[in-house]
Amino acid sequence: MTETPACSVRGLSAAYGTTPVLRDVDLEVPRGVVLGVVGPNGAGKSTLLKAMLGLVPPLAGQVEFFGRPLSRVRARVGFMPQATTVDWDFPTTVRDVVTMGTYGFLGWLRRPGRVERERTGRALEQCGIADLARRQIGELSGGQRQRVFLARTLVSEPDLYLMDEPFAGVDARSQQAIVGVLHGLRQAGRTVVIVHHDLATVRDYCDHVALLNGTVVASGPVDAAFTPENVRRAYDVATADDPFLDVIG
Amino acid sequence: MSFLVGVVLLAVVTAVACALPGTFMVLRRSSMLVDGISHAVLPGIVLGYFLTRNPDSPWLLLGAALSGLLVVLGSEYLTRTGLIAGDAPQGLVFPALFSVGVILVSLEFSDVHLDTHTVLVGDLNLAGFRQLTVGGLDVGPAALYVMAGVAVLNGAFVWLFYPRLKLATFDPAFARSLGIPTGLLNTALMLLVAVTVTAAFNVAGAILVIALMVVPAASAFLLTKRLSRMIAVTLVIAVGGSFAGFWLAYFLDAPTSAGMAVFQGIVFAAVFVATQSRRTVPVGGAAAAR
Repeated sequence: MTETPACSVRGLSAAYGTTPVLRDVDLEVPRGVVLGVVGPNGAGKSTLLKAMLGLVPPLAGQVEFFGRPLSRVRARVGFMPQATTVDWDFPTTVRDVVTMGTYGFLGWLRRPGRVERERTGRALEQCGIADLARRQIGELSGGQRQRVFLARTLVSEPDLYLMDEPFAGVDARSQQAIVGVLHGLRQAGRTVVIVHHDLATVRDYCDHVALLNGTVVASGPVDAAFTPENVRRAYDVATADDPFLDVIG
Repeated sequence: MSFLVGVVLLAVVTAVACALPGTFMVLRRSSMLVDGISHAVLPGIVLGYFLTRNPDSPWLLLGAALSGLLVVLGSEYLTRTGLIAGDAPQGLVFPALFSVGVILVSLEFSDVHLDTHTVLVGDLNLAGFRQLTVGGLDVGPAALYVMAGVAVLNGAFVWLFYPRLKLATFDPAFARSLGIPTGLLNTALMLLVAVTVTAAFNVAGAILVIALMVVPAASAFLLTKRLSRMIAVTLVIAVGGSFAGFWLAYFLDAPTSAGMAVFQGIVFAAVFVATQSRRTVPVGGAAAAR
């Protein structure tokens, strides 16, 4: 018996205004893996995550999570947007932002209570930012901001995580902390999809990879799909001995 | 109720009703959308008055609010087409609606007190003149009760939807990924802004209502680090500023709404100067090390 994949995308197309960004994307994310979505700037990596979640209206195609439409399994899917998409001067603290991860599942008239506080405390610990809990979010470094967003996604304990550039703008210490969390999630049998732009670290962080350039050029286990030839096709690099390919190892 | 007490109360209640949704407009960086809405309600007010002949009719309030909402929906639609960017869509929609209102006023109502000057700055004392009597007892200006109703409505909305409203304002994409209907919340907030602007129109006019909505929240934004405290400080500044502004205007024998707006402006300037000088001082290890 085969398990239904954590996520399956069939024939997904999306556009911003009149500019097509995604064409006929097919992608299957098996359970329990860390999958890296890799591709050049403008390849539609972020748009893919947003279209999967319905944040960008898809023009065509189907997306299923655990074999069902998103609206039926929303609590099992967690999203971590790019840190640059929000206003970090917003009057709120680290603990406050992390607690926001519980809001979607709170009754309309309820406020976060004991359960939510405990979950928030655990997520803060997991990401190593418990000591920053009372800080105003504008006082944080780039890496700390990413960890706050990561904690906010962890707090609702979903089974599938969709993360948009979790390593963008982080220092070594935050990078280590985030990698630690990703590996912990994989060990616990969770599934993680990260949009990633650093080819050099794909082999370290990911088990699976999807090379994207408007559409999926190749996808599968890193050893099979992350080949120089596929990377060259995704990045439109013509020459086989381009030094840029050395970094993928 | 004495006339003076009634008018002071009207000033304070109007400031509170405006300041509450104003907090979220400031945080959304769409303060000037209030400007657009406050101008676009004019044709709705004139048409509503034409149909009901009653300046206090709730239908007039709703019709005007809907015409104010046209700015929000119209500019959002133009933005979505991707053809016009930034705040240009607002600039395209609201002057046209406002001008329709001005033409209607000058054509139809040149004999009533709804003149173009009052439209711009309002007249609190004029609004205070129409007293409400219940069972022969004079209970204060009718406008006071309209504004109090709007203040309660705004307070109830913010209180009921506070967590979701906060998240939808801070990070709409994440909010939607949790299944929070951000579009609906946004439209409801904009409708409340339009209702508030319409109700405050008699008191503050189309331009000064912006000061009542935006300035207390902007001052509180500089002073606080948490949204709940920002709202509390906003309300304190709104109440204190309208009270002080009223007496400022009273002693200068100047228009009340202008006195309130000037006083709010002074408060903001003081807060701005104070927080700027504080921010130049290094705040400790972590910040200095970065």
